[in-house]
Formats: sequence, structure tokens, C-alpha cells
Amino acid sequence: MKKVMLTIAALSLLATSAQARTWADIKKAGTIKIATEGAFPPFNLLKGKELTGFEVDLANALAKQMGLKVVWVTQPFDNLLIGLQQDRYDFVIASHGITPERLKAVDFSSPHYCTGGAIVTRPGGPMTAAALNSKSVAVQVGTTYLENVRKVPGVKDVKTFPKDTDAQAALMSGRVDAWVGDKFTGLDLVKAQKGKVVQGELLFKERIGMAVKKGNSTLLKELNGALAKAISNGTYAKISQQYFGTDVRCK
Amino acid sequence: MTRAARSQPLGGRTLVLWIAGAALAFLALFYAITLVLRQMPDPIGPRADLFVEGARITLQLTVVSGLIGLIIGVIAGIQKTSSVWLVRAPASAFIWLIRGTPLLIQILFVYNALPPILKSIGLNVQLNEFWSAVIALALNVGAYNAEVIRAGILAIPRGQTEAARSLGLSGGQTMRTVVLPQALRIVVPPLVNNLVALLKDSSLASAIALLELSLAGQRVSSESFMPVPVLTTVGAVYLALTTVMTLFTDQLERRVKIASR
Repeated sequence: MKKVMLTIAALSLLATSAQARTWADIKKAGTIKIATEGAFPPFNLLKGKELTGFEVDLANALAKQMGLKVVWVTQPFDNLLIGLQQDRYDFVIASHGITPERLKAVDFSSPHYCTGGAIVTRPGGPMTAAALNSKSVAVQVGTTYLENVRKVPGVKDVKTFPKDTDAQAALMSGRVDAWVGDKFTGLDLVKAQKGKVVQGELLFKERIGMAVKKGNSTLLKELNGALAKAISNGTYAKISQQYFGTDVRCK
Repeated sequence: MTRAARSQPLGGRTLVLWIAGAALAFLALFYAITLVLRQMPDPIGPRADLFVEGARITLQLTVVSGLIGLIIGVIAGIQKTSSVWLVRAPASAFIWLIRGTPLLIQILFVYNALPPILKSIGLNVQLNEFWSAVIALALNVGAYNAEVIRAGILAIPRGQTEAARSLGLSGGQTMRTVVLPQALRIVVPPLVNNLVALLKDSSLASAIALLELSLAGQRVSSESFMPVPVLTTVGAVYLALTTVMTLFTDQLERRVKIASR
């Protein structure tokens, strides 16, 4: 038993012993590797081969301010932070809500927008947390929505899908009573599906940040600086207006 | 066990005993897994029950779709050895379709595409995750079993059929009482192989949000960001499941082999 634990501990150490690129390394190389999911409209979405969305445009703008070229990497959501720990890319911008569990694993930038987890259902379905009692709910695996739906008392069944779009499909086809996801993504779905789904109340509020590897403070400082500059010089407001018609920064 | 008992053909009673033994062994295994995993440090220990629940679903999935797949395999396998083209063709088409497409696509097809197709022809069924996975896995393993069983039937010398027919047995009787009993003994090892592969392939059902062993691992890994202990644990549990399974199928193999001598 003890031997097994020791081996596992040793393996964990091996897996995390690599060094993250500091700001100086990145600056010298001239390119920054950014990872996102590419399946979370309107924040990050692959349209064919082209990566688009609010977070993609924002990250591109930040990199431009820092004088860097960007290499984008797309990964399944639940792999993103694991890959970050293994130095597959420099930072992750993929609508990660800042939670205590995640803070144990990675460091977060100051929030680049604020949002909440909303209930989306078919007309006549559960619109409030109380109404979720004895209903089945679809969420994406590894998200804050999963954690927060679990906290709602009386939910009959929480189904976890690999992608948000799969969870939405489960709602559309009537396999579940509700889907819980990002407020803005929900609004997007409601708009796209014209009357087939409606948005209910916010289950919880959250602040969204960019993640860097734990301890990579030089890169974190540069990112925060670039974000603050984008907010003060109007770049942020312009991108936000383009996608949401409103400013989504944290107030 | 005495020699005399060993040379007995596999009777109904021994089969019941064998199934009961396997069921007991798996119950003991789940008990052992629960105890061991609960002792493990974070992130495994606090979530031990999630892993055990996942392993239970994985085993259920394997047993149910394995049994249905065996029936499908026997039927399609016999069909394929028929001399009548009309009997052969549907089985050939089925095997061609299933073997030529990936299992992941088959699972996604049954889950996402089958309900609207059935709806359009007036059948309103709502397949849940478990039964969607069972249908896809059973069809998949059934196609591979069919080829194994066909090979087994072809391995029985023609003379056996000719002798049976000249003794006055009908074609159906010959198949049931002479050819199949011998063929099934030959095909036990490759069928076991398919069953073990099925247990591992059932991990693909995680794509349709069925909370089996690998999705349980994915959940823990994405909560804790510690892939090394999680993936090690999941792999070890799969290994434990297949080990207990092959322990019993080895018994079965030994028995049918001696009985045929």
C-alpha cells in the first residue's frame, strides 16, 4: 500500500518538474502559445478552421500590446489546465471561473470578465434553483457549473458531457430537463434556437480569469498589465461591444 | 476435483455454479476496490465511491452487451455459413457495416442520430445513455463474434455433417446437435478475447455522458488537475476487472477443452 502511494507520489513529481517559460523566455522567443477550448460561443469558438470569439480577440489584442506573435492551441476543456501544468502552452484563456480548487492548481490573472451560471430550459421547464428539485440537469465535465449544480438540493440527476454543445444537444432533444451553463452562452443559445429554449435565473455569479502555471509570476504580471492597458485605452470596450453589445468587465 | 469429474461435459449445474462463482468474485472485488481506494490519499480516497460506481457500470455494460452480442454473433455467424444467398446477405452487410466503422461513431450514432430517425418513422423511443451504449456495444461485439463463430463452424470437418445427414438428421438438427456443440468449444478462446476487448471498449461510452469508469476518472482528473494518480487508478481498476474476468473464462476454457477429448 505504502509503496503504491510512494510510486504515485514520485510519478506526480516527475510530471510537474518541468519549467514554465518565464516572461523573459517568451519575450526572447517572440511568440506566445495560448490555449483555449474552441467550443464555447461566443467566447471561443472554432468556425471551420478559424478560431473566433470574445476571448480569442481579447487575447490576440493583449499579445499585440505585448509585441508577441500568437500560436493558438485548442484542447478539450477538462484537459486545458492539466496541459498548462505540463507546459504545453504559456497561458489558458477559456472562461475559467476563479475557484479555490483551481487556485490550488494554477494562478489566475485579474478577471477579464464577470458572468454567472444560468439555468436554460425548454418552455415550461424549471426556471429557478428550487424548481430543479427532482429534475435532471446537463452540464459540461470539469466546470464550475457541475460543482454548483451538485450543491442544489434535490436535483435528481446531473449528467456530465465532454462538451457544452453536447450538454445543450441533450437539452434540445429532451433527454434532460435543464442545462446549466454560462449566462452569455445561454443567451446565445436562446437567440439561435428562437423560442425552443428559455433562460431562467442565475444559479451563481463568477469571475473569469486567464490561467498561468502556478508560480509563473513574471508572465502573470505582464498579462495583468496588458489587460489593465486594454481596459484603459478602450480596446476592451470595443471587443466587448462587438460580441455582447455591452461591457462585460467586472464592476 | 477428480479426473472423472473433469471429463464430464459442461452440464447445466456446473454452469450455474460457474456463474454464481463469477458473481461472487466480482462482488468481493468491488468490496476490495472500495476498501483499497478509500485508503488512498487525495484526490482518490475522498472520491473512492465514484470510482467503484463507475466500475460497476462498466461491468454491467460489459455483461449485458456481451450476452446480447453473443446471441447476435451466433445468429449472424450461422447465417454467414448458409448456402442460400438471401440468408447470407443481411449478415454480411451487417458485419461489413459494423467492422468498417469506428465504435465511437457507432455509439454517438445510436445516442444522437437513432432517436430522430426512429421518430421520423413514427417510433417515439427515448434511449437513455446506458441502453444506447448497450445497443452500440452489443452490435459491435456481435459482428466480431459472428466472424469467430463462422470460423468455428467451418473448422468442423465436412464429414461430420455428411455422417449426421446420412444418419437421417435434418439440417437444423445437424447444426444444433453435431456442428454447433463442437464449434462453440473451438471458439471459446477468441470469444473471451472479444469480451475482454469489449470491457475496455466500453470506456468509449464516456462520450455520451454515461458515468462509467473512465468518465468517473475524467471527472476527478478535471476537478483535481492530477492526471497521474487518477489515470493510474483507473487503469488499475480496469486491470482488476479484466483479471477476475479472465480467471473465470480460463476455467471455462479448460473445462470445455477436456470435455471435448
